[in-house]
Amino acid sequence: MRVHSHSSQSRNAQSSEPLVQKEHSKLLEVDNLTKVFTKGQGFAKSTITAVNEVSFSLELDRPEIFTLAGESGSGKSTVAKLILGFEEPSSGAVRFRGEDIARTRGKAKFMKDVQPVFQNPFETFNPLKRIDTYLYETERNFRMSKAGEYPLVERSLELVGLSLTEIKDKYPSEMSGGQLQRVSIARALIPNPSLLIMDEPVSMIDASLRMSVINLFKELKRQQGVSIIYITHDLATAYYVSDRIAIMLRGQIVETGSVEEVLDSPLHPYTQLLRASVPVPDPANKWQKDIPLSDIEIREYSRKGCKFAGRCSKAEDICNECEPPDYRVNGRYVKCHLYKTA
Amino acid sequence: MPILDIRGLKAYYITRKYGHASRVRAVDGVSFQVKKDEIYGIAGESGCGKSTLLKAVSGLIKPPLQVLEGEVVYDFEDQKLSILSLREDRQRRRIRGVRISLIPQGSMSVLNPVRRIRESFRDIIDAHLGTVDEARFNDIVRTHLDALGLDWSVMHAFPHQLSGGMRQRITIALATILKPDIVFADEPTTALDVVVQRGVIQLIKKIKREQMNTVIMVTHDLAVHANLCDRLAIMYAGKMVEEADVDALFSNPRHPYTIMLLKSLPRLGDRSVRTSAPGAPPSLVNVPSGCRFHPRCPEAMERCRSEDPELVEVEKGHRVACLLEEGSR
Repeated sequence: MRVHSHSSQSRNAQSSEPLVQKEHSKLLEVDNLTKVFTKGQGFAKSTITAVNEVSFSLELDRPEIFTLAGESGSGKSTVAKLILGFEEPSSGAVRFRGEDIARTRGKAKFMKDVQPVFQNPFETFNPLKRIDTYLYETERNFRMSKAGEYPLVERSLELVGLSLTEIKDKYPSEMSGGQLQRVSIARALIPNPSLLIMDEPVSMIDASLRMSVINLFKELKRQQGVSIIYITHDLATAYYVSDRIAIMLRGQIVETGSVEEVLDSPLHPYTQLLRASVPVPDPANKWQKDIPLSDIEIREYSRKGCKFAGRCSKAEDICNECEPPDYRVNGRYVKCHLYKTA
Repeated sequence: MPILDIRGLKAYYITRKYGHASRVRAVDGVSFQVKKDEIYGIAGESGCGKSTLLKAVSGLIKPPLQVLEGEVVYDFEDQKLSILSLREDRQRRRIRGVRISLIPQGSMSVLNPVRRIRESFRDIIDAHLGTVDEARFNDIVRTHLDALGLDWSVMHAFPHQLSGGMRQRITIALATILKPDIVFADEPTTALDVVVQRGVIQLIKKIKREQMNTVIMVTHDLAVHANLCDRLAIMYAGKMVEEADVDALFSNPRHPYTIMLLKSLPRLGDRSVRTSAPGAPPSLVNVPSGCRFHPRCPEAMERCRSEDPELVEVEKGHRVACLLEEGSR
């Protein structure tokens, strides 16, 4: 239930812990993960650090819903791809059950245990293929049961509130987005995973159906003991469903802590801006004053110092010069020079 | 005095395949009025017909979309005009941009990727004001950009050099440069980040304040409506089910669908359990009989299966289409 800071002090503190115990207590450890993308060639070559020294971990024996929130381009989807092994990290490591996934990814054991759910259910499924075949194939490919028998298909459909008769012989076009996303989750549940990586799972789903999928996450955590990494830009659903939240900005995690603390009383100026920008569905609480807008969002990646300093009203000289370490404030980690004394 | 009066509008997508005609009843008998100087919101889920309604009302009718019935009358101070009777494209083109204007959804697909922003402005101004000289052109654009708080340097940029939020703000600037009387906005904030979304809402408010135009805002996001609109209409499966002042609609929703939508909204600071209705919105090819919401409605009665309720006024300025409201008429 803690996020490793990457300041040098805490790394020392960490290495003094017995190594064996650490390996057994964590389901997932993301350790100083960095991913640099290059674009262009020759003289036009430039690099973007999409994920910049990101660290967090999930406990083994305590299932939780961990939200990675941030704007588009904050690197949250890249973190998901790195955890799933779709991309190779430039530096740092992802350890699942103590084992570096650089060795285990692509292996059935790892794939069984860590399952993805993608954003757009209409793109997840081939429109010319019946949906139930995806479920059968998953059960067969992972050799979950005896050949020719598919007991898990029905069981996992039940978990997401569907039945086999509802989806038998149907094509994706015959179902609603909400139903399809449930099938997508049911498919992910067949190999009995301990971690689900959900990248914007409800953003394509209609408002009247969205909560049924979100409520399903809570059920899965409670009944199946599945941990979920929920990647979203929607802070309202994140607040509703998750236990902990990490706010990402330009590849870095700037604030982590319990979702209530972080969103009820945000510490980092960026989190404060995000929090203030979420529209409240209540006409009695309309926004009163205007916020300043940045025209230089793209340049923030390559900023020296704090990535937010260009837009921050509290920025001082130090913010433009050196990157803030993660300060620990009341059980939270905040990447901001303001909390230096705290 | 309403600036826009829509009566009994029916707009279907009609396609023929193998001699079999399929009718998508996207807008099926919608009537409403928009007052001058207000921000009128239209909310609904995907596939409820809200974008088609916007197309039909702004006269962007291309096959397979057909308007079968209804009237759309604009009442500008000096001119009254029924857009559906303007059959020629040229006549309609003359009022677009000047009288009515559309802020489209995907800003990346709106701006031409191989031309600088400046040339997009040039196109619009030349089409409506004739070819103006460089000084006048610069003057018009500079005044407009200043008013919107946009930097002049964007004029020389290509669309790909700008962030998504900036592009959307330029699309808005393009749509409003000729100070149209009515601005239609089709999901202008969807696919934007919250901070940028707030900026875009700010910008729309600012334009409305300065140009004194009427705004019709279509989005599925009720929280955006709550922040922006004066009046709000809720659509479900091609019909309008409720319309009221935005305060009344949020504090006293009366249609079961509206109630359900509001109940399912997650709010920051509130972790109490939210639920959503069973089932899914119907396909517009095959709409349920009677009230279209009855298969999902918790309060459905036997009559709801066969009788289609009219949108009637139940309180001043509050219209609801539900058989439960019969007593309060």
